Amino acid sequence: MASVITETVPQQSRRQPLPPVVRGLIWATIGFLVVNVLMSYVLDPLAGHPFITNSSVVLGWFAAVVGWLLGVGAWEEIVLPSFGILDRSVVTGTGWRQYFAMSLNHKVVGIQYLVASTGGFFIAGLAAMLMRLELMSPTMWLFPYPGQYLTTVGIHGTIMMFSVGTVALVGGLGNYLIPQMIGSNRSAFPKVSSISVWLVPVGILTVAFSPLLGQWTTGWRGYEPLAQNDANGILFYYLGVFALTMSSFLVSLNLTATILFKRTKGMTWNRIPMFAWGMLVVSLLNIIWLPEIQMTFVLGLLDRLVPLPFFTAVGSNLTYLELFWLFGHPEVYIVVLPALALWMEIMPVMVRKPLFAREWGVIGVIFVMLLSGFVWAHHMFTNMTYAEELPFSFFTEMISIPTGLAYMVVIGTIWKSNFKLTVPSLLILMSMFNFLIGGMTGVFNADPVVDLQLHDTFWVVGHFHFTIIGGMVFTWIAAMYYWLPKFSGRTYNPKLGVLGAIWIFIGFDGAFSLMFLVGMEGMNRWVPVYPSYLQPLNIAISIFAFILGAGFLFNLLHIWWAMKSGPKVEANPWKSKSLEWMTESNPLAENFPVEPVVISGTYDYDVDGVAAIIPNPAG
Amino acid sequence: MDLILFGVAWVILSLLGEWGVSAWGPHFYYFTASTQALDGLNASIFLFRFLTPIFFFVVLMLIFVPLRFKHREATVKAQGRRARTNRPFVAIWITVSILVNVLFFLHPTTSAAEQQFDSLLPQNLHGALIVDVTARQWEWHFGYPQYGVTAAKDPNGNDVLYLPVGRTVEFVLRSYDFNHPYALGLDVIHSFWIPAFGEKEDVIPGETRYEVIDPTVITSTEQNPMVRVQCAEVCGPGHPYMYAAVHIVSDQAFLKWVAAEHKAGN
Repeated sequence: MASVITETVPQQSRRQPLPPVVRGLIWATIGFLVVNVLMSYVLDPLAGHPFITNSSVVLGWFAAVVGWLLGVGAWEEIVLPSFGILDRSVVTGTGWRQYFAMSLNHKVVGIQYLVASTGGFFIAGLAAMLMRLELMSPTMWLFPYPGQYLTTVGIHGTIMMFSVGTVALVGGLGNYLIPQMIGSNRSAFPKVSSISVWLVPVGILTVAFSPLLGQWTTGWRGYEPLAQNDANGILFYYLGVFALTMSSFLVSLNLTATILFKRTKGMTWNRIPMFAWGMLVVSLLNIIWLPEIQMTFVLGLLDRLVPLPFFTAVGSNLTYLELFWLFGHPEVYIVVLPALALWMEIMPVMVRKPLFAREWGVIGVIFVMLLSGFVWAHHMFTNMTYAEELPFSFFTEMISIPTGLAYMVVIGTIWKSNFKLTVPSLLILMSMFNFLIGGMTGVFNADPVVDLQLHDTFWVVGHFHFTIIGGMVFTWIAAMYYWLPKFSGRTYNPKLGVLGAIWIFIGFDGAFSLMFLVGMEGMNRWVPVYPSYLQPLNIAISIFAFILGAGFLFNLLHIWWAMKSGPKVEANPWKSKSLEWMTESNPLAENFPVEPVVISGTYDYDVDGVAAIIPNPAG
Repeated sequence: MDLILFGVAWVILSLLGEWGVSAWGPHFYYFTASTQALDGLNASIFLFRFLTPIFFFVVLMLIFVPLRFKHREATVKAQGRRARTNRPFVAIWITVSILVNVLFFLHPTTSAAEQQFDSLLPQNLHGALIVDVTARQWEWHFGYPQYGVTAAKDPNGNDVLYLPVGRTVEFVLRSYDFNHPYALGLDVIHSFWIPAFGEKEDVIPGETRYEVIDPTVITSTEQNPMVRVQCAEVCGPGHPYMYAAVHIVSDQAFLKWVAAEHKAGN
C-alpha cells in the first residue's frame, strides 16, 4: 500500500507535519476560541460577560468541528483538490498511521468506524455500570444528586444509539465489506466516508462531556418541554447527536450509491449478498429519517437559543414526541436490520447449505423498512387518546411478520444442514434467541391495554435491550469473529471464543430478563431512588450486569489479541463463496487487481465450484 | 425421522410451557387492585397462551439443529430446488404469522379498545368519583370537587389519595404549577401511574386527560407498595421522589376521611 501512495512523491520534498489528529485538535481549539470569543464578547455579550454563553458555545462548537475536520485531513484530501490543487507534499502516513488520518481506502474507514464505535460502546458501557452500581441501593449513594444519575442515563443511551447501534454495522462493517462483497475496489464516494468517520469521535466526546455545560435529565430522547427546563447540558446532546447522525447520513448516501452503481459484472439483484440488501434498506431508512430528526433537534436548539416556545405548554409538546418517535422507531430497525441480514449472510457459510427462501428474506427486510415508518406512536400509547391507538397497534403487530421471515430463512437454512458449531454460529444462535425474547415481549408492548401497564417501566428497558444488545450487539461480535481472518489474516482461539460467548450470554440474559420482573413489580424508569421492596432484584440485576460488562471487555481483549497475534489462517478459512473472501487477508489498497465476474449465486453451497472468477487480464 | 423427533419435543415443550402459563400467568402483574389491571392481566395471559408454542418452536430449532445436525459430513447433501426452498413450509409459516397477528389485533387489542371507549362514555361515568389530579415539579396534588376537598393531605401534610372501593373513579389529569402559574417553562410531562391499577396516563401541559379506574380491593401503600402513585415519565431530578400514598377504603371510611379533611381545612 505504501508504494501505491508514495511512488510519485520524491523522497526529499516530503514534509512530515504534526500528526493529523494533533493538527485537528489544534485547529478545533483555535476555531472554538475565535468564534466563542466573537460571540460572547463582541456579537452577543450577556450581562456580566460570561466567557461561555449558550449561543457562543453552539457556534464555537461548529467552528471547532470544521477546524477538526480540516486539520485531520479534509484540507489536503478534499478542499484543495476541489480547487484543482493537488498538494502531494504532505504525507498522511502509512501502516498504522493511516488509521489516524483521513483515508480514501474504504477498509481503513471501516476499521476507523469500528474502533470509534467500540470506544463509544465502552464509554457508554461504563455509564451503564455506574447506573447499575447506583441502583444496588434504593437510596442515593453513588451519585450525590439524581440529576447526575439521569445525565448518566442520557449519556449512556445517546452514545449507545447514535455511535454504536446505528454506526458499528453500517459505518463499520458496511464500509469495510460492501465494496469487497460486490466486487468493487472502492466505494462510490470515498471522500464522503473519509470525512464522515471523523464526526463519530466528535459526537461521542461532545455527548460524553455534556455535563460541562450542566445536567440534562431527559434521557436519550430529549423529551420536551423538560429539555427546555433542564440545565444547559442538553445543548451538547443536540450537537453531539447532530455530528453522529450526520456521519450516519453521509455513510448511507455512500453505501446506497455503492450498492446501486459499483457492482461488478454478474453481481445482479438476484445475487447481491443479504448483507448488501441489509445495508441498502438501512441506508434508505437513514436517508429518510435522519434529516427529520436533525430538523427536530434544530427546533429544540432554537427553542433554547432564541428562545422559541415550539414545544412548551403554549406551543405543542406532543409535537416533539411525535417528531422524535417518527424517527425513533425506524431507528431501532436501523439498528437491527443489519443484524438480521448478517444472520442470513453468515449462516449458509457455517452450515454449507444454500440460503433458504432467499426472496422471502429480501421481502422481509424491505417490508420491515416500509412498515417501520408506520409504527412510531406505539411509544406514545400513554399520551394519546384511545381512538388514536388502534392504527399504530395494528402496524406494530404486523411488523412482526416480515421480521419473522428472517427467522424462517435461517431456520430453513440450518435444517438438515451440516451444522458447524463455531464461535460465530454460536453467537448468532444466541442473538436469534435473545432477539426472539425481545420480539415476543414486544407483542405485549404492542397491545395498548397491556402496554399502559408496561410502558415506562423496567419491562420496557428489558425489552429494548433484548432487541438491541440481543439482536445487534451479539451479531456484531459474531461478525467480528467471523471476519477476523479478513481483518488480520489471523483467527481467534476457539476455546476462549466459546467462553466469551457463554460469558456474555449468561450476563446478558441474567441481567435483562430480571428487568422484566422488576418492571412488572412496579419499578419505573429513570429513578436512582426506588421503594426498598425492589432492592433484591436490583442487586441481582446489577451483579449480572457487571458480569456482562466484564464479558464484553473479555471479548474485546480476545479479538484484539487475535488480530495481533492469533493463529495465522489461510485467506478463506470458512470456504465461503462470497466475494469478500476472494481478496487477500487484510486486503491492500486494491481489493481486486482485476474485476471479478460473478457466475453464480454466492450462497450455492449445494454445488461445487466458485461463485465468481477473476478473468484473465489479457482476454 | 428428524421431523418426528422435533415435533414430539416441540409438543412436549409447548405443553410444559402452557402448564407454566397456567401456573405463573395469573401472577404476571404481581398485584392487581382494579378491573382495568385484571383486563390487562387477562389480555397478557391470552398472549402468553399463543406465544408459548411459537417461542418453543424457534428456541427448539436453535438448540435441536446444532445438536442433531452437527458434523453431518456432506453425506445427505440437499441439492437443487429442494435445498433452497420448501413451498409448504413457507406457506404455512406466512399464513400462521398473519393469522396470529390478525387474531392479536382483534383480541385483545380491539376488544380492549372497545372497553376503553366504553369506559369514557358519559352514561358509564354516572355517579363516578371525580378526582382532580394536578402534577407539577415535583408533586402529585389531589382534589375532590364533589366533596369540596381542594388539597387532600395526610396529617403530616403529604399529598394522599383516598379512594372508595367498588366505585368508578374518574381522574382528571392536568400538569401545571399551581404555585407559579405564570412560569410556563416549569410545566413538563408527567405520567400518572398506580402500578396495582395496571394503567398509566401521561399528564401533558396545556391539555386535560382522563383516566377511569374501578378499584376492587381494600388496600393501601402501607400494605402493598404497588399501591402508590408514582410518576412514570421522567420529569427532572425530582422524578424519583414524585410519589404519593394511596388508600383504597370502604365507603364509610372514605366519608369519614372526607370529614376529617374538612376539619383540617383541606
